[in-house]
Amino acid sequence: MSETIAQTGMINLIIDGRDISVPRGTTIFDAARLNGIAIPTLCHQQNQAPVGVCRVCIVDVGARVYAAACIRECEPGMKVKTAEPGVVQARATLVEMLMSDHPSPCARQQHSGDCELETMAKAAGVSEPRFARRLSTRGRDDSSLSIAVDHEACILCDRCVRGCDEVKKNMVIGRSGRGYATHIGFDLDLPMGSSTCVSCGECMVSCPTGALTNKRVVDSRLQGDRLDPEWILQLPVFKGVSGTFLELNQGAVVKRAIPPGEIICREGEFGSTAFYILEGSVDVYINTPIAHVQQEDAAGGWFSRIRSKLSDRRTHTRDEESSRRYIPIDAPVDLPYDKPVAELAAGDLFGEMTCMSFHPRSATVRAKTQVVVLEMLRNVLDILQKNKTFRAELDRKYRQRALETHIRSVPVFAKMPQDFVNYLRDRVELIRFSPGEVIVRQGDEADAFYLVRLGFVKVSERHPGGDVVLTYLGRGSYFGEMGLLGGGVRTATCTALDHVDVVKIAGEDFHLMLSRFPDIREGLEQVARERAEMNRRRVASTEHVPIGDFLNQGLMEAQSLLLLDLEKCTRCDQCVRACADAHEGVTRLVREGLRFDKYLVATSCRSCRDPLCMVGCPVGSIRRRGSMEIIIEDWCVGCGLCVRNCPYGNLNLHPFAVQVPDPAQPTRMVAATRNKATGCDLCMEHEEPSCVYACPHDAAHRVEPLAFFGSMLGARDQRHTGSTEGTSK
Amino acid sequence: MHGRAPTSPIFDELRAIQRAHGYLPEAELRALADRQRIPLFRLQAVASFYPHFFLTPPARAEVRVCGDMACHRHDGNGLRERLAARFNGQDVNVRHVSCLGRCDLAPAIAVNDRIFEKVSDAGAGSLIEFALAGASPAQLAASASAEASSDRRRRVECDPYADQSSQYGVLRAYVQSKDWPGLIATLKASGLRGLGGAGFPTGMKWELVRSQPGPEKYIVCNADESEPGTIKDRHIMTHAPHLVVEGMILGGLVAGARHGILYIRHEYTDQEHILQHEIDRCYREGILGDRVMGSDLGFDLEIFVSPGLYICGEESALLEAIEGKRAEPRNKPPFPGQLGGGLWAKPTVINNVETFFFVPVILSKGVDWMKTAGRNGSAGVKFVGVSGDVVNPGVFEVPMGTPYRELIEGHAGGVPPGRTLKSYAPSGPAGGYLPASMLDLPLDWNAMTQAGATVGSGAIVVCDDRACMLDMALNSVRFFRNESCGKCVPCRTGSTKMTEMLTEWTKGRRGPHDLALYQELCHAMRLASICGLGQVVHVPIASVMKHFPDEVEAHAKGRCPAGVCFRLGAPA
Repeated sequence: MSETIAQTGMINLIIDGRDISVPRGTTIFDAARLNGIAIPTLCHQQNQAPVGVCRVCIVDVGARVYAAACIRECEPGMKVKTAEPGVVQARATLVEMLMSDHPSPCARQQHSGDCELETMAKAAGVSEPRFARRLSTRGRDDSSLSIAVDHEACILCDRCVRGCDEVKKNMVIGRSGRGYATHIGFDLDLPMGSSTCVSCGECMVSCPTGALTNKRVVDSRLQGDRLDPEWILQLPVFKGVSGTFLELNQGAVVKRAIPPGEIICREGEFGSTAFYILEGSVDVYINTPIAHVQQEDAAGGWFSRIRSKLSDRRTHTRDEESSRRYIPIDAPVDLPYDKPVAELAAGDLFGEMTCMSFHPRSATVRAKTQVVVLEMLRNVLDILQKNKTFRAELDRKYRQRALETHIRSVPVFAKMPQDFVNYLRDRVELIRFSPGEVIVRQGDEADAFYLVRLGFVKVSERHPGGDVVLTYLGRGSYFGEMGLLGGGVRTATCTALDHVDVVKIAGEDFHLMLSRFPDIREGLEQVARERAEMNRRRVASTEHVPIGDFLNQGLMEAQSLLLLDLEKCTRCDQCVRACADAHEGVTRLVREGLRFDKYLVATSCRSCRDPLCMVGCPVGSIRRRGSMEIIIEDWCVGCGLCVRNCPYGNLNLHPFAVQVPDPAQPTRMVAATRNKATGCDLCMEHEEPSCVYACPHDAAHRVEPLAFFGSMLGARDQRHTGSTEGTSK
Repeated sequence: MHGRAPTSPIFDELRAIQRAHGYLPEAELRALADRQRIPLFRLQAVASFYPHFFLTPPARAEVRVCGDMACHRHDGNGLRERLAARFNGQDVNVRHVSCLGRCDLAPAIAVNDRIFEKVSDAGAGSLIEFALAGASPAQLAASASAEASSDRRRRVECDPYADQSSQYGVLRAYVQSKDWPGLIATLKASGLRGLGGAGFPTGMKWELVRSQPGPEKYIVCNADESEPGTIKDRHIMTHAPHLVVEGMILGGLVAGARHGILYIRHEYTDQEHILQHEIDRCYREGILGDRVMGSDLGFDLEIFVSPGLYICGEESALLEAIEGKRAEPRNKPPFPGQLGGGLWAKPTVINNVETFFFVPVILSKGVDWMKTAGRNGSAGVKFVGVSGDVVNPGVFEVPMGTPYRELIEGHAGGVPPGRTLKSYAPSGPAGGYLPASMLDLPLDWNAMTQAGATVGSGAIVVCDDRACMLDMALNSVRFFRNESCGKCVPCRTGSTKMTEMLTEWTKGRRGPHDLALYQELCHAMRLASICGLGQVVHVPIASVMKHFPDEVEAHAKGRCPAGVCFRLGAPA
């Protein structure tokens, strides 16, 4: 077809009084450019098909209206005037109108002083636009890790649209809305970070203003060799990424050579980078004792001190303890409970959760051989993760190496026969969700079962008056079985809390598994029943509560509360001291907290409506029991994130002096301090908590909340009205 | 069964989803994207562009009130505000809608996509109550049948056929003679022009497409009449569908097109049914299909229901819509008649309903009839709609050359008793407003052009002495603002800046730079916009500045001579 349009030969025309000869099919813009006449433009770029939408390149061709030079082809005998007063005037008006809606200086102007619109406005003498400013706000989108979107600065030039859809063929960006409300949209007008954007950077490189800019990562000074973008682009895992984008992000990925034995990262530390192994191999292991804190009554009776010690589950079995055989970590492998060590080699990526969601390091990594790694910040990791080649490679490895231990680490699946694991290996889907994305929605058809691979999933149920968070699920947890086992309808909504990877098992495979393995069915049904009962109780506990404040403070959901009567309390801190005395000098009581009426609610886990402590545990060692108390599993690495996350200060770090292998010489043991998280145990070993006993003013009480506050709340349930005070001294 | 023209399935798919769910749920859009292998952004691009589609669940009563020109003259904007206030807090969404094509039956509203004409506050209120009570759109429509127009099929005067059996006689003769050059010569000699408003000679257009290389060509009838005041195509499609279809078949055979598409606005449901009935008849009788009237010539015709918007009437935007895209006008050249510029880049004839209608009329009655049918030296007949402040609004079939005074005061019965005529718009908002002193201008292309106006689409809207012309100018500019597709900067931003500025003027606030900015805006929009919409945004206010300067000036001094402006509520 194109042959029939494009007839060969040269044509002659006049531009600004000059005789010009160009091949047929040349645009006026190109003809002028080739002859040294610059026509201003905002929407046109040499590497993109012209669209003629900004109209800044208008020229007078002697017709009824002006023509857009970028898209209008030269015609024989055409007389073109590119800088007539009328043309210049119209251009200035267009620029002034755009400037009146532009947040000047925009991000690009601020960073590099080269916003094309602002530069053009300056040249045209437009300083303070005389048009009224835009009334409606268009907003910003901060969801992408690598590209900042400021719709306010967008001039709808369609350069990003063409860059994404035509140059890179990624098919993500389009125009959305109409008229003055038109804006660029990603997929179904989603936040960029939730869209199928692969962060190639082409849109940002194409954008003439500050609408799409490179997101600078704060911690951009990595130790190591800075890399030439061209070298990076040679790596298959960076295929398709814009070179300009890498140039802008120099320093966000570095190459490091590490000698054998050197520690690359330590468990419990905070960090912001991920590592990709180019050469060599590393050991990944947990260097904290695999044990939990056990309380022991040293001399009998509550009068004496309680002693804490570390015990593992072989020597001290706790009620409802997890029987998982693998510890989930932030790497493509799981660590065996009994011997928490594994090896990673070239092509492996670790530290994803730390990098994407700033979780503490889940394990210690030490170079086994001479190692070369790429260490990167989250904007670079984001690009890698969205690269299809890399993604496929990661997925392949995961299926090969980790899927089996992942499946088996779920207790009910622990004994799944090998052939069925192999069957699932190629059938499961590995899917990634961005923060806030809904994975399954309550009421929708249940069509799959999910294992959490990375990140945290919030499980919530719709109720009049708002959603109730039932729990948070981290790595090694699963969801979706209730709908599949029950009526085929989702019973709760599961939302990605941060960057979440899941293993999706199709409904048909799930049902096949149930029909083939009655044990698994029984196990799942048992858990489903327990979950349903737990959910029912949680919801029921909030149903009778008349006072919003009470509810808001989470008091209602507590199993047991420690209250300080502020009218009686003299702030003598005897309670705090007693607690410390009882717990080897580490108090678990802080005489601070929420106030309700005249009471200070001092301590004890409340099994909150929204159990924030569970979010972010890098090794998934904190969870809720059926009774909703918090249990900390043996593989806690003592990072302290749960302690920080608990809004009520009810979790503490408990340091222990331990012997650990010397990193320099692993056969030798050295003394070290390792932390374990603990919660208030309410001095369960005693008849009464030490703090209550110690209070000289009768100000401290341990109470059952509903019973204690019953009359105060005017509770409808008459059962509670008899005892306004629970057990107290 | 017959062959189908390649039209995008996207709108049918979206409509099916919306019928099932009431809106377009994300999951359905994702499933559609998978099924049709369409990138998500393309679905979003169109679903968010056409107001017909809901991206979130609609209210129980979605109420759309027209407030453009004729409906504004009949207090459509006041009605909207009163309804919004009355149903505030209920599951009712009252919004402005651009012209529904019922200018002769103003004010018009749509409730849950059903259109109601000449509604009163009470009538509209009970419709909404009924919708809130759960009435289906069909039940709604049935409840208000008394209020609906009784468009009974009437014979148009210039119909050359005495009865149904003689219809398609012109086509029969040309299929036998195959004298296509003679057909084109007749059209050229008759001086028939495109009657959608631009007035391009029809014979030339058809000849151009006929001469283009390649076997694939299309013929498209633009029945997307959406400009305020324009109601003539509705009338023609209702009363003479056979002539429209015959004109299209003739055009197709002349141009060498195998497929014709009749692009109709979705608010014209009745006309869609009438035309579909006519097309079905043609297939039954062998007038359409592989062997047109037993010959070796094939031609298929189908209806494409517009996803809606005034901009779809712009010919290249209309083609974009058929291709399943946002109706954004293309840069021209290439024009639709040229290779690379038409539907799917193939040479395409696009003509207005009325143009196709007149082709068999002229071919049957002859070139001489054109001369005798006109008056005062003008040739031919024209359908004009007269609406606004007149006693007897409607569509009239009149000789070209008839003075506007006669159209307004004679055919349409003049302004209501006791009122005086202040102004008339000869062609909707795009033709500007003329003063009463120019009433004796004839309905003639040349005479009107000389007077700085246009016959345009024959959409005459009348304003009596109660109208404020600055308010009318704002109303018309705002219409263009509402309908701007947003593709190019001058129109997208300029129409908004102009509307905001005029809104301030009607409140007596004129900034120190405003008159200069007004001039600069007119200049930039007229000369730099991609399409005809952007190029005429300024026309209504420019005409009022020219013909009613005192009235505009009075506002700057805080006075509205007609007593309209300083008591109006918030504009649409």
